Amino acid sequence: MSLNYEKMSWSDVRDQFRTWREETGRHSEEVVQLWVAVLEDKVQKTGNERHLILEQVIIAALDTARFDIATQCTKQLALEFPGSLRVMKFKAMRYEALEQYDEADEVLDAIIAKDETNAAPRKRKIAILKARGRRLEAIKELSEYLKKFMSDQEAWHELCNMYLAEGEFGKAAFCMEEVLLHNPHSHLIHQRLAEIRYTMGGVENIESARTYYSQALKLNPHNLRALYGIYLCCNHLDNSRAVSSKRKELQKLGQWALEQILTKKTIVPLEAAFGNLEIKSN
Amino acid sequence: MTELLIDPDIRVWVFLPIVLITFLVGIVRHYVSILISTQKKAEITQIQDSQAMIRARLLRENGKYLSAQSFSMRKNYFNNEETGYFKTQKRAPVAQNSSAMLTDMVKGNFINVLPMVVIGGWINWMFSGFVTTKVPFPLTLRFKPMLQRGVELASLDAAWVSSASWYFLNVFGLRSIYTLVLGENNHADQTQAQADAMTGAAMTMPQDPKAAFKAEWEALEITEYHNALKNIDADMLAIASAPAVSS
Repeated sequence: MSLNYEKMSWSDVRDQFRTWREETGRHSEEVVQLWVAVLEDKVQKTGNERHLILEQVIIAALDTARFDIATQCTKQLALEFPGSLRVMKFKAMRYEALEQYDEADEVLDAIIAKDETNAAPRKRKIAILKARGRRLEAIKELSEYLKKFMSDQEAWHELCNMYLAEGEFGKAAFCMEEVLLHNPHSHLIHQRLAEIRYTMGGVENIESARTYYSQALKLNPHNLRALYGIYLCCNHLDNSRAVSSKRKELQKLGQWALEQILTKKTIVPLEAAFGNLEIKSN
Repeated sequence: MTELLIDPDIRVWVFLPIVLITFLVGIVRHYVSILISTQKKAEITQIQDSQAMIRARLLRENGKYLSAQSFSMRKNYFNNEETGYFKTQKRAPVAQNSSAMLTDMVKGNFINVLPMVVIGGWINWMFSGFVTTKVPFPLTLRFKPMLQRGVELASLDAAWVSSASWYFLNVFGLRSIYTLVLGENNHADQTQAQADAMTGAAMTMPQDPKAAFKAEWEALEITEYHNALKNIDADMLAIASAPAVSS
């Protein structure tokens, strides 16, 4: 998206920031540029929304390594809310961005000591472990965290990704199932679960994978990856199964999936197909 | 019945002031309660419990998308006789008379009951004995004590409203105006607070984790696994073979 910075008034920028916030998009570079170009001097006019905007800018600034802006905004917030845990979190994030992990850990521990029900600093600590490359420790911490905050969908998803990176597919499948429980109508989660099952291998798992691929395809008929998954599963089962009636069905289904893939390629614009392929971990 | 003519001064000095006073008191109550209320701090165990309950509920609702093994594994985690979460987690019932709860109650009384008594008494004393307005429809005699508090006239038609009753009508009737001015979930309306206080006993019940756990345990126990994806393979096959037949 191209934005004409010169022509935007501060209220346009505010509205733009608001939409980004609501869509939970980061747009870090744009945020920082707009902040410097337009909003920095006018931020007093935004009223109560100012604090939200400042938070947004801090995160964007840390993303783009503009530590001067981040520090300045954090100071503004700290002046207004002395001792606020939320502001402390931003200080910790700044340390994180500067790769001063020990200091960040200290700050986060202080927050947790003050308010042990606060989920955000715990997650940040896990993020630090991950950033330091200590993935096993991060997995351990995250499991501990999930014992306390069991219905944190995001955390389950992250744990799944970390297990995948470790090659622990069984555990990853468990986590993905947990995400599926939270969100049973997302074709992407079905698809991811099917992929994990397929990777695990074995007739039983691949049958389960075919089921989940089918469900993903049912939820979103344009899901090319699910189609291809069905094709692969059918082929695999076809080679391993001895029952002839089943084999016929599998061949038919595989054939159909392949045909669909070939037609989809031309009919569906590529963007629509590929745009839906990846699970976005929010 | 002869028509009564009411002095316009009553409208200016009684009818409208009562509306204004009740309204402004409500606004003040809203801000005072914001000012003196403390944010309730949840315990970590409470959060853990509530999240476990959510997870169990999701398992009940969406467990049909899992495989049989995954479902019973999770069910076992919660409901196993010896090691299940709902069986092993022993929580002390929420202490009823902890000091925090006491201060909460005192504060609640302070903003709910006190203004009610003081303002109500003052209005009764200040504007007593006025006939302020008339409801535009006839009413039976039964409504007289309700609408004509403070004006004990046997011959007055029941449709007339006395000043004290007008005050009470306002107290109970301004809720939607508060919502309009202060937004949802405001603290201006004291009838709401009183209703809360009355059902207080029922409200603390779900906070007792033991009972809640038992309820969730029972609900999960009677949940039978039912595979929602059982037919999906056949469905897919049907879709796959359909175009082949037609073409």
